[in-house]
Amino acid sequence: MGKAETAMEIPLEISDVSGQKVFSVANAPAGNTVGELVHEMLGKMNLPRNDASGAPLTYQARLEREGRHLNASERIGDVLERGDKLTLQPNIDAGRGR
Amino acid sequence: MTLTFPYRFAVALFREDGTSLGTVPANRDWEPAHEWTRFYFQRRGELALDGDGSASVLPLWEHTLGEPYCRGYRVQIEQPGRRPVAADFSMTHFRDFASAVASVYVERKALRAGDRYSYLVVAHPTPEETPKNGGLTVTNSSPGLPARDATLDSFLVRAKPSGVMDIDDMPVFVSSRVLEEAAERTHAEEGTETGGILIGMLWRDVGTGELFVEVTAQIPAEHTSGNNVKLTFTAETWAAASAALRLRARGEIYLGYWHSHPVREWCKAKECTPEKQRTCHLAKDFFSPDDEAVIRAAFPRAYSVAIVANDKAFTDLTFSMFGNREGITQPRGFYVLEEKTSDTQISRAE
Repeated sequence: MGKAETAMEIPLEISDVSGQKVFSVANAPAGNTVGELVHEMLGKMNLPRNDASGAPLTYQARLEREGRHLNASERIGDVLERGDKLTLQPNIDAGRGR
Repeated sequence: MTLTFPYRFAVALFREDGTSLGTVPANRDWEPAHEWTRFYFQRRGELALDGDGSASVLPLWEHTLGEPYCRGYRVQIEQPGRRPVAADFSMTHFRDFASAVASVYVERKALRAGDRYSYLVVAHPTPEETPKNGGLTVTNSSPGLPARDATLDSFLVRAKPSGVMDIDDMPVFVSSRVLEEAAERTHAEEGTETGGILIGMLWRDVGTGELFVEVTAQIPAEHTSGNNVKLTFTAETWAAASAALRLRARGEIYLGYWHSHPVREWCKAKECTPEKQRTCHLAKDFFSPDDEAVIRAAFPRAYSVAIVANDKAFTDLTFSMFGNREGITQPRGFYVLEEKTSDTQISRAE
């Protein structure tokens, strides 16, 4: 049961689905939520925030150590440890479109 | 591999009579052109496979009007100790953005639907920003291109071309088993969009240094929801695919995705005549903006490809491939590779 990182800032590694875009974060604030982290990282990683119609895309952060998707409202300090690896995975539609 | 913008681009729209509709910041997606530029020079051996030099988007000034009017833009990539490499892109890269802006003007009734309009692209130096306090400190630690050595000729001798081949495209080889499995799944889910994740190898020809792709297998997309016009990939879809890839343990990488277009269902719903169905533009080489968005969000590298299984009323199932050519997702040809092994279908990892 790893847990409860007490440091104010936690270093992490975050990648996209393909594993070809990997970013090291030196200082993820322990008090922030996972949703806030994902939101900021989308811009840093140049991943699209919107689908083709302009609607916001939802990305979930998968914590590889535990093999689960984190809830956007979970606090970084409660669920993440130093060096944890997260993968940002979108819910996204392919198809003919509207 | 950061992308910087020393200039801010904007698109100015005009009615047919020359009156101005307005100017808006060109918030287009520059990343596909950046990725294509990087990959193009890596294929030519002019940029290291693990080169992580920063790139910038620069204006190409219009010859007659000069600054600030643009005739296109340039993506320039720095490399320590060597001359930067650069690729130029024309005004057509702004066309979709201008069209989207025009639609907004139509909604605002500043322009009527069907009215002609023209556009110009301008660029101005980006003002220096004061660094913000706080925020994440982030370092790009992306791996270099995961290419392994092979001989291109050994693939070509057992491959059959499919579709229109462009000599400048990176060669892509697809195992015939992958297409068979995609066809089986498309028929099994007839009327509903279905799909999978393409995996395989990125190779570098030992003779010429050319990079090429081999799609060795497809991982059926699990935890999706589909109907006759869309297929939703969920976070669980990617997690299951990742588990399957790890379980397979053959050093393969993600190369893209495939999905079906149940064109016959679309035609049925629209009550298209048989004649119309035969000439329907959705029946061949159709890749929607939604399809493109999946590539962009999940498989951004320029070597990634997408396959569409076209399930039509009057002909057998056909396959179309799409890839990044000059920063735009376009139809492209590929090679079908006779498969030697029989285990390309991957089950979900439990």
